[in-house]
Amino acid sequence: MNDKTENVKMENKIPTKQRIIAWPRMGRIDIPLKALLLSLGAEVVIPPPNSNETLEIGVRKSIEGICLPYKLNLANYIMALEQGANTLMMFQAPGSCRLGNYTKMAQKTLKSMGYKFDMVIFDMYKSKMKQTLHAFWHVTHCINPWCYYKGFSLGFNKFFAIDTAERLLFYTRPRELHKGDAEKCYNKWLEITDETNSVWEAKKLKQRIIEDFKKIPIDTNKKVPIVYLIGEFFVLLDPYTNQNIEKELGDMGVEVQRQIMFGDWLEHVLKPSIFYHKESHRERSVKYAKKYMKRAIGGECIETIGDTVYAAKHGIDGIIHISPFSCMPEIVAQNILPKVSREEDIPTLSLVLDEQTGKAGYITRIEAFIDLIKRKQLKKINN
Amino acid sequence: MNNSFFNKKIGIPRAISYYNSYPFYYGFFKSLGIKIILSDKTTTKIINEGCKYVVSDTCLPVKVFAGHIINLLDKGCNVIFVPSIQSTDYKINNCSKIRGLPEIIRNVINRDFTMIEPTLDKTENIDFKNFCTQIANAFEIKDSIRIKNAINAGWETYNRFCKMTQSGICYQEALKNAIEGKLIKNTVEIVKPLSVVIMAHGYNLFDDRISMNLIKKLEKMDVKVYTSINVSREKAISSIKALGEIQYWANELELTGTAAYYLLNNKVDGIIALSAFGCGPDSLMVDEMTYHCKEKGMPLIHLTIDEHTGEAGFVTRLEAFIDMLMRKKRRLIDKNSHKITKQITEIVEINNNKILTGSMK
Repeated sequence: MNDKTENVKMENKIPTKQRIIAWPRMGRIDIPLKALLLSLGAEVVIPPPNSNETLEIGVRKSIEGICLPYKLNLANYIMALEQGANTLMMFQAPGSCRLGNYTKMAQKTLKSMGYKFDMVIFDMYKSKMKQTLHAFWHVTHCINPWCYYKGFSLGFNKFFAIDTAERLLFYTRPRELHKGDAEKCYNKWLEITDETNSVWEAKKLKQRIIEDFKKIPIDTNKKVPIVYLIGEFFVLLDPYTNQNIEKELGDMGVEVQRQIMFGDWLEHVLKPSIFYHKESHRERSVKYAKKYMKRAIGGECIETIGDTVYAAKHGIDGIIHISPFSCMPEIVAQNILPKVSREEDIPTLSLVLDEQTGKAGYITRIEAFIDLIKRKQLKKINN
Repeated sequence: MNNSFFNKKIGIPRAISYYNSYPFYYGFFKSLGIKIILSDKTTTKIINEGCKYVVSDTCLPVKVFAGHIINLLDKGCNVIFVPSIQSTDYKINNCSKIRGLPEIIRNVINRDFTMIEPTLDKTENIDFKNFCTQIANAFEIKDSIRIKNAINAGWETYNRFCKMTQSGICYQEALKNAIEGKLIKNTVEIVKPLSVVIMAHGYNLFDDRISMNLIKKLEKMDVKVYTSINVSREKAISSIKALGEIQYWANELELTGTAAYYLLNNKVDGIIALSAFGCGPDSLMVDEMTYHCKEKGMPLIHLTIDEHTGEAGFVTRLEAFIDMLMRKKRRLIDKNSHKITKQITEIVEINNNKILTGSMK
């Protein structure tokens, strides 16, 4: 039965040699995925980054009630197909939320629009590594184990490099002496990461990034409030969707610590549990959220609550919780957050994003929130 | 230990799972010797009360649920049944808000009460028997035979209810008779000029305040109404498959399953989709049905409800839809009437010929 459903999911109408692969965009996952697929000998198309135009296409072709990430994903597919792609890849995790329905709907919509393509979906529920390998074998038919080693090691190292660069960017941005240095450095390293093509070089990337960021002159004595950024996976990782909240906060002089990093998540999901010794984000969240939630209810709800409690216990100054409009797990989280905030004594701000969110109103609310945090800090010092 | 445990009372809010599973709960709790206290029927006051506690983005049914909890607490009942139905089959999950009902209620209502919060999660191997045992254990009942008997008693009431509803008896009457232990039969099948199927969750449709008496309104317009309770589980599952879809949501049978069954049988003239504003699963299921209805030429209207829905606008849309169906049907009859008269004359001619040939012989 299981094999049957797998076969249904992985369409095979286009000969392997003619495949041109595309996948939806989310932040910078295009860099590692491109490296992986190129080393397996595949041809790829990368749709343009998410923008107002992308959203417009997505909104036009999708239904009213669906959540924001789907609209962007669909637009990515359309743009990639227009650019010549004929194989679309997407992972799905049933049992989480509407995410499990994305591919099914996108397939139907795109077919009714007259596109001819193969959709390759890999399940992230159980036996993830096997499924993932199978999906990549399916699209490339590459049998050389060295290529797989090279591809996955390149991909993983690039993921980690990007994560490191992001973390350092968040740390440096509020403290830098010349505005814009950190951003410049980050962009430079993204480019270098993208161009790196050998495993040896990729492994060294992380160290080189750390060294380079250390060279940026910063004000170490500056009192910088620290804010945790939590919420829904896609919105957190995609700078267009969250209106580049990290940059806005950094420019206001706030250090952001984003709790969901794609590299970490991927490592936890794909690495067999025998090799994974760290406490995963999920485990930590379940532990800390115990007082408020007894069961996981899909999506990132339990992570949101767990992180908030964790933050309160570790002296973080505030929480910004972002989610797309009508996201089901995050609505539950929104309901629980006020109580957590009250009992753990940590300020929280919930922001709901949709395609009509005006940036000005959004910034005002963040500014007010940051003022509140700063005042709370002052009070603490005076006492 | 809490005093109320000795009295063995349980409060069941008249919302969410009440509408589909109350016959089971009734038989089950009665057999265990636990007295059920139901909350009042939904009123505007209950909805407003619920809105005060949860954030505004939450959907209407959950707001109503919170309102009913407050209603029960005001009645002096402080042991309340809040089940978390995570998945009803392997990898067939429920909406996050229904999965997390106890989590929401625990954190938004700051009053002193005990929650009976059993979990049903077949993906993680927590089956229905386990679910029932969790409830019984909360009342300090550990005897497995007693629990088993209670489950059987629950199913008995539930099956009686299903038998009646599937034979075409309306929800309220079937519920009343199932609880009284009676099994009545539908003797007369009423034929009406139009028939529609409503695809909606039980908690939206059978709650008179939320659905604004949709079924009665339609019946007043001389329309026969089919709902999810008229279709058996097996039929709903096989209809989804026949339509080429895969069941993804736990409560998909109520919507896609029911609509698909009537769509494939060609039994109805139109489909009415009733869903709460911001309902995640419904937005997908209604879209799926819209796609299939377009292919088959079946009219579908999507009515969205929230706590502010004005009744006048709602009725106008409904009337317009029914008028449209009526006109469509009349046109169809007009078109076919030529054929019918033609057929009749042909038969008459054949008969005449026969007579003639007969006389010729």
